[in-house]
Amino acid sequence: MISQNLDLKIESRSALKRFNWDFAVVILFLQVIGIINLYSAAYSTDHLTGVFRSQLIWIAIGWSAFLVISRIDYKSLIKYSPVFYWANLIALVLVLLVGKRIYGSRRWLDLMVFNYQPSESMKFFLILFMAGFLARHKLQNFDFKDLVKPGLILGIPFLLTYKQPDLGTAMLLLAIPSSMILFLKVKRKVLFTLVAILAISLPAAWNYALKPYQKNRVRNFLNPERDPRGTGYNSIQAKIAIGSGQILGRGYRDGSQNQLQFLPERHSDFIFCVLSEEFGFIGGFITLMTFLVLLIIILNIARNSGDRAGALICVGVAAFIFWHLIINIGMVAGLMPIVGVPLPLLSYGGSSMVTFMTSLGIVASVGNRRFMF
Amino acid sequence: MGKLFFSQQNSDQFTFDLNFKAAKIFIVFFFLILVSRLWFLQIIHGEEFREFSNQNLLKSSDVYAPRGRIYDRDGKVLVENLPAYKAIITPQYTEDLDKLAADLAPALGIDVEDVIRKVKRSRRQNGPFFPVDIKRHLSRDELFKVELIKLDHPGLAAEEFILRHYPYAGEVAHTLGYVREISKKEIPRLNKQYDNKVKFKQKDIVGKKGLEEAFDLSLRGRKGQSFVIVDAKGQKRTQRIMNAIGEVLKNTPSQPGSDIYTTLDIELQQKASEAFEKYDRVGSLVAMTPEGEILAWVSHPSFDPNEFSKRLSPEVWRKWVNNSDRPLRNKAIQDHYAPGSTFKPIVALAGLQAGAIKANQHVYAPSSFKLGRRVWHDHTQTGQGYIEVREALERSSNVFFYKLGLELGPDKMATVATALGLGATTGIPIRGEVKGHVPTRAWKEKRWGEPWQDGESLNTAIGQGHVLVTTLQLAQAYSAIAMDGAVYKPKIIKKMEPAKISNWEFKEKEFEPTMVRHLSADTEADYFVDKKHFKVVKQGLDRVVNGRQGTARRARFKKPFSVAGKTGTAQVRRFSADQIYKPCPKRAKKEKHNGWFVGYGSFEDKPRITVAVLTEHSCTSAAAVPIAKEVFEAFFKKYHNLRVDDDKPKS
Repeated sequence: MISQNLDLKIESRSALKRFNWDFAVVILFLQVIGIINLYSAAYSTDHLTGVFRSQLIWIAIGWSAFLVISRIDYKSLIKYSPVFYWANLIALVLVLLVGKRIYGSRRWLDLMVFNYQPSESMKFFLILFMAGFLARHKLQNFDFKDLVKPGLILGIPFLLTYKQPDLGTAMLLLAIPSSMILFLKVKRKVLFTLVAILAISLPAAWNYALKPYQKNRVRNFLNPERDPRGTGYNSIQAKIAIGSGQILGRGYRDGSQNQLQFLPERHSDFIFCVLSEEFGFIGGFITLMTFLVLLIIILNIARNSGDRAGALICVGVAAFIFWHLIINIGMVAGLMPIVGVPLPLLSYGGSSMVTFMTSLGIVASVGNRRFMF
Repeated sequence: MGKLFFSQQNSDQFTFDLNFKAAKIFIVFFFLILVSRLWFLQIIHGEEFREFSNQNLLKSSDVYAPRGRIYDRDGKVLVENLPAYKAIITPQYTEDLDKLAADLAPALGIDVEDVIRKVKRSRRQNGPFFPVDIKRHLSRDELFKVELIKLDHPGLAAEEFILRHYPYAGEVAHTLGYVREISKKEIPRLNKQYDNKVKFKQKDIVGKKGLEEAFDLSLRGRKGQSFVIVDAKGQKRTQRIMNAIGEVLKNTPSQPGSDIYTTLDIELQQKASEAFEKYDRVGSLVAMTPEGEILAWVSHPSFDPNEFSKRLSPEVWRKWVNNSDRPLRNKAIQDHYAPGSTFKPIVALAGLQAGAIKANQHVYAPSSFKLGRRVWHDHTQTGQGYIEVREALERSSNVFFYKLGLELGPDKMATVATALGLGATTGIPIRGEVKGHVPTRAWKEKRWGEPWQDGESLNTAIGQGHVLVTTLQLAQAYSAIAMDGAVYKPKIIKKMEPAKISNWEFKEKEFEPTMVRHLSADTEADYFVDKKHFKVVKQGLDRVVNGRQGTARRARFKKPFSVAGKTGTAQVRRFSADQIYKPCPKRAKKEKHNGWFVGYGSFEDKPRITVAVLTEHSCTSAAAVPIAKEVFEAFFKKYHNLRVDDDKPKS
């Protein structure tokens, strides 16, 4: 009798009620911030006029993806995640063999209609695959031997992407699944050993693994005045833009760094500079806080999911957004070398918008599912 | 039951709770770092950065690369760059627009309201930092005035720009093309087309049509970058550079575009263009060496590419677009026409090779030919009597070729025609070339779903019906006939300095004459035609000009100069029975026949130049022959010392 009542109650919950409105509103708010700034950035130039309109279209496509994915049971996605993972791995190998070379690195596969970048979609499939793997093995407090398999799962795509070369994406492919493993906790001795290995390998990596242009980026980061024309120039201009915003900013569409086209890639990777210049510390702070709220909502969905795999997916998506955000803002604020990493939900770009919205859609799916029990 | 399931699922959630807490602390920690960094930049050092941004701005700006020049084969300049000045206003730096406009407009002889409207509209559309062109092509006097007014109005400036100049104006317009400012819509399209090798920006100049477009990438060179310290008003400053930069910036120089040397001969080109003018004809002409180097290329009437450099006025544009003679169209490759009788030598070659006719065999060629219920007419009413192939070409007998075409069928004619380059683009690096058409049985069945009719063979044999050619293709085909079957790819670029990539698929070796195939040397090929047959046809072509009954006797020269070729009069459409005998000059303009003359000129019995002339709606080929003759004469004079009194024919 009681259980019958319960069933009725669950069924009467409409899809609308189950929909996590806070979550959606926060996402939309960030996109609106992005659109407002994109308009200012696009408006200052000639060849960006189409950018604004196409971003609106991408946001619409992103939301469609979000809604579709959120209706799908994420468990079936996990079930098929090995297929996606291996297919994506093959695509990564293909990139190295027959990839399209743009600006000296092979990152794209020419699919006739558009250029596909397998390392981008890998971020997403890696989260699913890793979540499925870690949930199946019910591991906690990882020891060295437990790390071998997960290490291979994330290591192979990392190496393939690193070979392209695309250091930025490779680092993210390392950081996102690693965050998921660290979340489940590793033994203290393992943690210390890893940190020690990292510390020792850094000088070695400097000498052997980094390409000259990558070394230059690091050198320029440590001393931007070294090469004001190249990456250092971008870094200086970005800092000037942010700094000159002061507390309240210079006003919408009045940022001279933006409008006079001092800022490189204003509409994509450097969109945060436009925001900071025109809306000042207040604007940047509000944006950061919104991101913080978004991350906390995702972690709360994870905590309440009541399912190990679902929780791990959410943690992976949180890490996905978190690392992009930290690297992007760290980079424009002069805390990190310049690498091409977009700011989630704000930067211009169709594939990044769709990927982020799809991942957030999975989080929504995890959130929806908890009412199904 | 449900509750049990739930709690089971949550069994390891207690251990997870701590992890979530740790994760949140981790996230907040990093956010704190970012916020404090923003605090550091915007609040602690904000004033300094604001100052920097206001007072001294480090700006990189483009250094324009001079666009490559285009020369003719003797090194005469066909396209050059001239410096010019324009007055610009940047709305952001303008303090009092009304006053500025009131001061500026009378000095430049323009309307005050116009200036204000222009600036306001651009401010709305492009933002306040985008400079607005107020007047281009300032005279020396105006430039001086602008410099004076500028002292009171910081928003005004005089800017140098490069004007693309075509000294021969309309005389070589179609091969060279023109340049124009890039349109907003074109920017993404061109960026994509050139695979981001060039990043186009608003106000960039791009090549349109002709060589300017085909070799745009090579001609445009590469922009350089210069770093200047400007203040927030956009004025350049040379003062000390802020300590944040610390050192003098290095500039990257621009890379000038490649110069292109064409195979064109401007003297011949001018002569040809003037000839169309002189005889008041509409049409096209291509002159080339038998190895394919194009010497002259006329499409008449023409347009003045300088109008585009100066920003085309709507009136001029309307005049060109509404002109029924279509001056903007490159008629030598963009339009195809029925070749008419100029197709007959090709049919003769096919017939001789197939054995359908012998070199000395006489065929009865009366004034008409009956096939089924239909009667096919010769262009004469008397008929030609018994004639052999040379005479048939000389007098352009239709009935002779009806009989030959009927016996050959379409495919044998098509094999030779296609081998000579008809029915396919020649690959000239100028956009818009059409293929023309050579019909075959297979094509007929595929396209129309019905079998080939014998009547169509008749039409094909006299170059009517489904056969379509361009002027350039006929020049190529006749060059090949002159060279006993050696087909050369037409080319227009002699060299490029420095040689660089182009957006046309172009290989280095293509600067040299390229033989595509050789009809009398490729003995195994299905298009093989014996050299002796070429000799017969060439004798026939010689008689067209030099024989007593030849149809192009006006193009005669005294030995050692000679011209051989073929005239053609092509119907532009099929006429109904009551219309067919209506005299051509009485027809409506668009229904008048087109005239052709295609021939090659020899000096000491060696072919030196091929000229193909098309005169649109001229009724007879008599219109085309004198134009070709002028070009032959100019060529012989220049390259083989023909003296003026030599070119008077004997009779």
